Formats: sequence, C-alpha cells, structure tokens
Amino acid sequence: MEYASKHGDGIAFRTLTLQQLKDIHSASCRILDEVGVIVHHDEAADLLKRGGAYIDSNGRTHVPEAMIKQALHSAPSRITLYNRLGEPAIWMEKSNVHFGAGSDTLVYLDPFTGERRDWTTEEVANAIRVVDALPQLDFVMSMGLLSDVDKRMINRIQYALMLKNSVKPQVVIAEDAPTVADITEMAAAAVGGREKLKNMPHFVLYCEPTSPLQLPFESVDKLLYAAENKIPVNFACGAVEGASTPVTVAGAVAQANAEALCGLVLHQLKNPGAPFLYGFGGSPLDMRTMVACYAVPEVLLLQGCVCDLSRFYSLPSWGYAGCSSSKDFDEQAIAEATMFTVMGALQGCNLMHDVFYIESGRTGSLELLVLMDEVISRARHILKGVNTTPEYLAVDAVKRVGPGGNYLGDAHTAKHFREKWQPTLSDFSTYSSWEAAGAKSMRERIRERLRSIMQEHKPVPLAPEVEEKIDAVIKQAKDRLGI
Amino acid sequence: MASIKDLTEFVIQADIEKVKETTAALLAAGEDPLKIINEGLIPGINEVGERFKEGNLFVPEMMMSAQAMKAGVDLAKEKIEGADIPNAGTIVIGTVAGDLHDIGKNLVSMMLDSSGFNVVDLGVDVPADKFIAAVKEHKPSIVGLSALLTTTMPAMKEVIDALKESNLRDQVKVVIGGAPVSQAYADEIGADGYAPDAALAVELCKKIA
Repeated sequence: MEYASKHGDGIAFRTLTLQQLKDIHSASCRILDEVGVIVHHDEAADLLKRGGAYIDSNGRTHVPEAMIKQALHSAPSRITLYNRLGEPAIWMEKSNVHFGAGSDTLVYLDPFTGERRDWTTEEVANAIRVVDALPQLDFVMSMGLLSDVDKRMINRIQYALMLKNSVKPQVVIAEDAPTVADITEMAAAAVGGREKLKNMPHFVLYCEPTSPLQLPFESVDKLLYAAENKIPVNFACGAVEGASTPVTVAGAVAQANAEALCGLVLHQLKNPGAPFLYGFGGSPLDMRTMVACYAVPEVLLLQGCVCDLSRFYSLPSWGYAGCSSSKDFDEQAIAEATMFTVMGALQGCNLMHDVFYIESGRTGSLELLVLMDEVISRARHILKGVNTTPEYLAVDAVKRVGPGGNYLGDAHTAKHFREKWQPTLSDFSTYSSWEAAGAKSMRERIRERLRSIMQEHKPVPLAPEVEEKIDAVIKQAKDRLGI
Repeated sequence: MASIKDLTEFVIQADIEKVKETTAALLAAGEDPLKIINEGLIPGINEVGERFKEGNLFVPEMMMSAQAMKAGVDLAKEKIEGADIPNAGTIVIGTVAGDLHDIGKNLVSMMLDSSGFNVVDLGVDVPADKFIAAVKEHKPSIVGLSALLTTTMPAMKEVIDALKESNLRDQVKVVIGGAPVSQAYADEIGADGYAPDAALAVELCKKIA
C-alpha cells in the first residue's frame, strides 16, 4: 500500500494497483525511449545528450530508462513551502493535501452584479485578499489576467500584487526566465534575501511541456532557471485528451507521465537534488463541441493516477480541485467543484490548484471560492478518519447513560462535541428560525461573507522598504522593456 | 460490383478500404472520375456533416469519414487530366510567431479539410513574411491566425499589418482564434472574423469565403 493515500486514523484510497503503476511506468519509458521528444533549447538538448540521451537524425531526443531512475534517485521526496513571514506553511509529501486558487482567468465574474468583464488590477488585488482571508486556502495564484497593464508586464505585476495582498505561499506562472528572475528578486526582497529564499522557498513555478512530446524554449529555460535557483517547479502537461494526448485515461497518463519524467530528468541533470513537483492534469475534448472540459469523471481518475504515481516515485504531487466547466456559479459548478475537491482530498494530492475556476478556466468565480472553503473544510474533516481508541469507543459513557438515558447531559459529550465539524456557511437551524433570520440562501450568505472580507480583511502588510524594493523591480523591468 | 451509391455509404461508414476498392473498381470499369467524386464521395461527407449537426455523430467519426473520402478522391484525381477539382475555397492557416501551440489550429485545419476546403497549413511559430509568401503563392480567400499565448497575440496584428504593406489585405479575409482571443480583439486589430471554437470556425469560413 506504499502507493495509496493514507489519512488520519485509517482512511485510505487508491486508484491503481501496483501492477498498473508498473505498466504505466513502463509505457512512459517506452514513449521516451522509442518515440522521443523534441527539445527546443540548445543547453537542454546538450545536457540530455551528455547525460546519455540519443538524438536521432530527425532531431528527436530519446531518453533511456536509466536516466529516469537516476533522476528519481536524486530528486527530493518532500518540499516545505514557507509563507512570507518565514513560517513553514505547506508540507508537500505523502498524502498531505493543500489547496489554492488558480491563475490568469480571462473573465472576472462580479459576485455582486453577475457581470462578466476583464479583470482590473484592483479586482485582482481584492481577489488575492479574499484567498488570504479564507482559512482553508493554503496558497495564492494570480487569479486574473490584468487587462489594464502592458501585456509584457502582466506576470510581474500579478506577483507584486500577490506579495502585497497575502502572506500565503504562491504558485507562479511566468512567460519566460527573465520574468522568473524578476519574480525571484521580488520574493527575495519580501522574505529577507536570495539565500534565504533559496533554502526556504516561498513560491512554486509552474512550467508546461507542449504536448505531445515537445519541450518549448521558454518552459525549458524556466525549468533550468528553477533548478539552478532551487525554486520548486513542476513540468505539468495540461492534457487535452483526444487532441494533445491519447483519448483514454491510461494513454493520457502514459504520455503526460513521460513528459513530466523528461522534465524531471533535465531538471535533475541541471542541479541534482533541486526540488521538483510531480503532476499533470487533463481536460478532455468534448467531441461534439471541441471544447476542452474541466472536472469530468475521467479527469478525476487521471488525478488518482497522478497521486498514486507520485507516491510510487516518492515525489511530491501537483493537481487540481474545486473547478468546473460550467459557465456560471450554478448547480453544475458546485457539483463538479465539490466532487473534484473531495476526490482530490481522498487521493492525497499535495498541492491542488484552480479552486474558483469555472468555464474550464476562462472565468473566475469568487463565490465558488468561498463555498469551496467550506467544502475543503468538510473534506479535511473526513480525512481525519475514525478514532477507535477506548475513549472514543466510549463504552464507559454507554455504561453511565444506560438503556433509556440521554447522552446530552453526559461528560463524554461535553468533552468531545467540539471536535465535530462546524460550518462557516451552511445553515443548520430550523425552518422557522432560518426564515426569521431573513431566509437567506447559501448564495446570499456567500456574498455577505465576500463583502465582509473585502471590507474588513487586512493582510499582514509589507515593510515600507520592502514595498519600495518590489516597486523598484517593476520599474526596472518597465525601463528594460521600454514601457 | 458496388455502385456509386454504395461509395456514399462507405464514406459515411468511414470504411477506407472499401472506399478505395470501390473507387478503383469503378474507375477500372470506365466510370467518370468527376462523377465518382461529385455523386459518390462528396454526398457521403455532406451526409456526415448533416448527422454531425444533428448531434448523431461526433468529430472523430467525421475525421475518419473525411479520410475515407480523401482516399477515394486521391484515386479519382489521378484519372482527371487538367480539370479543376472542386473545393470550398483555399485557406492559409498557421500559429503566429513565438507560439508553438497547434492543437486548436490543427482541429480547425482538419475540420476545414473535412468540409471541403483546400487547407494550406503553415504549422507553428510562423513569422509574418511566411504568411505573405504563402498568400502570394496559394492565393487563398482566407488567412487563419492562431495564438494560445497572450504574449503572442500581438503577432496576429503584425501579420495583418504585413498584408497591408504588401497590398494583399484586400484580397483575403483574415480570421483569428485561440483561447485568449476574442471578438473584441479581432475588432481591435482589424481582423474580418473570430470564432470561439473549431465548429464555428468552419461556419465562419463558409460564410466569408
């Protein structure tokens, strides 16, 4: 059971058998060996070649299994992420689960008016503050694509907004290595220097291959930069099953795993022992509409494979939760996002992102985010499992109360009832008292919560001199880019 | 021997081998190749298009039928001397400079191809001058530009500007697509059309070709 996720007092979950894991690993090795990848980066191609890869006459790089074994051997099996205050906040290992928002949605769904519009800097700052305030959200991402700044500056300004509006660790998207360098500079200013950042990472960098089986220049450049600077990084294929990967779950996993392992090999060749986060996701093509869909059952199965493989490889895992393909914050969104969150928790995925995505990642819903905060809390409670020690089996209490008695007045009840799950949004009152309190629907309660967070939540501020340093990095980047 | 009508059914069933066999047999028996295309093969793909619209058939099945039709057309073409093979129009398509993403673009290419367009696919990371050269060479009615990255979207405008500079802008319609692209962006850069998905891209091209 070393590959299954084990939680609390005994909850266990697995998607694949050990034999299936070996079969997938073998298929991925065959893909890297027999098909090969195209590497659009000279240094990377050279590193792979010197490490034992074979480059054929068509320019494809074939990676033998021995290189994968070597990389799996040198890569750490766990990563701690630190918050902006230098406190350990996320422990990516075993079946620990952590949740965070998503990046770069195109459309902001106004939670108060229902209007769909482009994100402004102010709205992104507000949304990050909401993530900062919600207790079940462990990390922040950039939320929305800024429509009111120069396109070349979007990733840098998003990062400055994350630092200024939250203490939580981040997962970062950056268009190229120079952008990552500026982001690293800002993070170092916030946490107390480059050396500290290198040893106590505050953010994870998100890199992707271009499927099928291509390693684009920018992604590889970022991957190598991350390896060198010990920035935790993934190499996560976003499979579009039926287009960029085989249509079957196993086929998609075999190819995406090959791509992730190829990224790992390159990463470990650059800097053995640098932290790497294993994982990928899927959004199968709907064969009628040609739309790539989030949160369908096959994707949840794929994530089960990712999590089992990550433990098989002893690597921390990366995945998804709390997202939907629905166009609105509606019943479909809630059904899909809740299912993904509960499944992700059971699967034991270490770092799950995209909580608040609707319309398969094009739109961001803060209402969904707030609701998911409570759903995550419910899921985390389930992961504790069932305590079966004598105190919890409570035979003594049964003896005390006896046939026909009532546990309400017993000391055992008073001692343990607070351990039970408590809602932050759900309503457990009677119909009449609910009605007397205004008959507020869940949606209204969510909006009230959002309003109060937006009005009242003050993230721990940055020191003024740190703000200045961050603004200086932004200004220098603008000067460099001639903006 | 199987008839021209059977050929239509084999295209619908996406049975490449039977399409090839029947086309070859009909040609050997002296049947007019243009008649084979127009009355046997094309009605098959048209019926497939209808069934797709009705929701009884999915894109992968449409692709397989298109391949079956093409296998027949290729055989028939060998027997046609000089005559123009009918098509719905020529489109030059590519992912713009700096962008390696081709899934969406390939879907559009495949579906246009299946719908009878002559598609000239320039691939990925295509610089503006390559689009210009292709327009000069293939004289398409439509140029299709794809981008997945927000950072490469400006390269779409560069192609439109290059078309203007080369005095080719009036001769082609420019359509754009890709996840971050919108109608608003199409309007902003002066493109003639935008489609949010591959099926609508085909509709759009049929409308403006």
